[in-house]
Amino acid sequence: MGVISPVGAGLLQTKHAIRTCQKGIRPLCLFPAAHSPPLPVGEVDGLPGTGDVPRTHELAMIAAAEAMSGAKKPPDAIVMGVTTGGLSATEESLRKKDSNPDAYCYHAPGSVAEYLAGKYQCKGPAMTISTACSSGTAAMKLALEMLRSGSVRSVLTGGADSLCRLTYYGFNSLQLIDPNGAHPFDQKRRGMSVAEGAAMFLLVADDDVPDHAIAEVLGGGLSCDAYHPAAPHPQGEGARRAMLAAIQDAGIALADIDYVSLHGTGTLDNDLSEARAINALFGNGGAGREKPRMSSVKGALGHSLAAAGPTGVAFSAISICDGLIPANVGCDRPDPELSPEPVLKPLESEVRIALSNAFGFGGNNASLLLGHPGRTENVPSVRQPPSEGFSVVGFACFTGAGNTHQTFERLSQGNACKGMLPISEISEGLPVKTVRRLKRLPRLALSLTKAAHEDSGCADPPSSVFWGTGWGALSETYDFLTRLYESDERFTSPTDFIGSVHNAPAAQIAIQFQATGPNITTTGGDYSFEQALMAANLLSADTDDTLLVIGADEFHETLSGLFDRSVLADEIPSDGGGALCLRRSDSPGDPKIRQVFFENAENNPSVISSLIRSLGDAEAAINEKFAGLLLGIPRAYRKDGAKQLDEFLSLSGFLNPVIDYRKLTGEFASASAVAAVMAAGFIQKGEILAGLCGHSPIPLNGKNMLIIGLGRFVTAMETENGVRC
Amino acid sequence: MKNLLNELKVKIVDTLNLEDVSPEEIQEEDQLVGGELGIDSIDVLELVMMIEKDYSVKIDSKDLGAKVFATLNTLAIYIHENSPGLAN
Repeated sequence: MGVISPVGAGLLQTKHAIRTCQKGIRPLCLFPAAHSPPLPVGEVDGLPGTGDVPRTHELAMIAAAEAMSGAKKPPDAIVMGVTTGGLSATEESLRKKDSNPDAYCYHAPGSVAEYLAGKYQCKGPAMTISTACSSGTAAMKLALEMLRSGSVRSVLTGGADSLCRLTYYGFNSLQLIDPNGAHPFDQKRRGMSVAEGAAMFLLVADDDVPDHAIAEVLGGGLSCDAYHPAAPHPQGEGARRAMLAAIQDAGIALADIDYVSLHGTGTLDNDLSEARAINALFGNGGAGREKPRMSSVKGALGHSLAAAGPTGVAFSAISICDGLIPANVGCDRPDPELSPEPVLKPLESEVRIALSNAFGFGGNNASLLLGHPGRTENVPSVRQPPSEGFSVVGFACFTGAGNTHQTFERLSQGNACKGMLPISEISEGLPVKTVRRLKRLPRLALSLTKAAHEDSGCADPPSSVFWGTGWGALSETYDFLTRLYESDERFTSPTDFIGSVHNAPAAQIAIQFQATGPNITTTGGDYSFEQALMAANLLSADTDDTLLVIGADEFHETLSGLFDRSVLADEIPSDGGGALCLRRSDSPGDPKIRQVFFENAENNPSVISSLIRSLGDAEAAINEKFAGLLLGIPRAYRKDGAKQLDEFLSLSGFLNPVIDYRKLTGEFASASAVAAVMAAGFIQKGEILAGLCGHSPIPLNGKNMLIIGLGRFVTAMETENGVRC
Repeated sequence: MKNLLNELKVKIVDTLNLEDVSPEEIQEEDQLVGGELGIDSIDVLELVMMIEKDYSVKIDSKDLGAKVFATLNTLAIYIHENSPGLAN
């Protein structure tokens, strides 16, 4: 475990800070602010600041180095929670109007996980969850499920975020900043303090308790309010459900919980709704049952967004390991409306089980439970999700050619479907009142999911949403920063700030469908959709509810070319995406889809043979199993991708048609979501469309379709025939 | 005052992208937030920004906001009384 926050770097300093109630909130120094005096923030002093990588990456690396100290092997996977990524550096470059894409190479939230993967030679998946302030805890729940699935034995996981203008001015525009610094659960609290930091953990699956284990992750729970894009549910209904889901997941009793690490941001609404959720869950005392002790550390550290959840988890781990409960620093007069009272002074007390909360924009809630290593009984261990994947009960795509029908029509004529649809066409059928505040990406997301759900014959409304986006809401981010710069940092748009988080479109989908289950946003450049499908598989092992897996990206005139080198290399700007409406159980006649492979290509010379092994190995088997291959090589990685393809073809002896789908869809990060829709469509029709491999359709004869992504990562999904009627 | 009211109606529709509302439909004494116009708390914050930018009037607390944004009329009065450009 490793942690860095405004009160110190490393576990020793952190424990000392807890014992001495240190407060790390001071007026901003990092960049000149328009406010005088600058607003109080939780800033980490003394970062190396070499300029090689942005602050978020530095913070993540410092925490990861502590977590990995003593580890003898690279982690099998990395699962990060990040929201701002390299935005602090991007903001400087945009202000200088720097048009060199090199200046933005660490912009993406996903680049933090990839940076750590490079440093630790991790050959497995490097995934990033970006669900605003619950990101890090949601990432840890996903890491837990990855371990339970048996697919990996160790995961480096946690969260990191740095201060930047977007969050400093954004939260202020929402009037959520306490000018005196955050005082969570205090009667006079007025808001939060934006902060930065990182907390990282090496989670290891082992029947025997590993030496030096600090704590055991017993379970986790996720939920979505499906209520409002930014404000929490007033009664804390979603928060209560996330905590309850964690308790059920771990199979423990409420009475076993001795400490709750509160989300406790210090805003009026958050603290009230969290207190209500806690009271609803634990009851109002009585019946001789004592409530657990609880505290928020955000009065000491501020709110470090994606790092906040894992930081709370780190403090929970300290409470278990050292019997030291942190004080709710900053709370002088507890708000009587928020009973029970938080812990006001650091407390030496045994903690058997700790519950750690993290909630975020989009009503996104995550809770995690920790216990003493090996001491809690009946904790679920390996729990493999069904290997056959999902039935695709509905699907839809948008490309430059139009909707699903128009796209398939264009493809069947042997033509590409590059380009961008006018926003009016994307918004067709969406109520004006719903979309008036939404720009291009959330409109794409809403239209895609509406169409996929309609295509399913209006199956039960989906309960969970898994949304993958390479670059998130570019229009909102650009407009926010442009307005900020044009007004000498005096004016911003609160609407654009709320819309700029990567999970904003997923929140809109949840509100639209009242989807109160897990609401996960994954982001990892060209492999974001694959990450969403993987997350769906890991997080819905026990449910047969309908769920949505979506991938989409927008083209933005200024930002797309700066961030995405593949977009820069293509002469036709393109965007769009694909959505799948999925069920776990067999659905007669519907195609099936599953994620079969995801590895980092860097430092991984055997990645292609590893891919072939996962597909069934023998030459004859691969030709017999797959009628065609939809191949995605991002334009910026054509050279490496071509080599990988040659190796694949020569090692696998694959002889059936290969369709280079990015030449059809154009270049955008989530083009693989369109490929998944194409594959589902081919399976449904029983043939590969005429026009794609010659003039006639190619019958599948009961065989499957393979979708492979090459480049910096190598991924594979397969679609097959479902059970026939 | 009449001019300010008319100006605000146009600005509200523009700022909040109220595509299905025409400025004339905003009644001066009707409930502004949570009413038929569909204006909510995020919109109020967006209007706060617009009012500070265009009229140099700050509305920086929820309690004050609730009073000021009660109706179009209360908003216009508050701006009229507090804007350096409009005050008599």
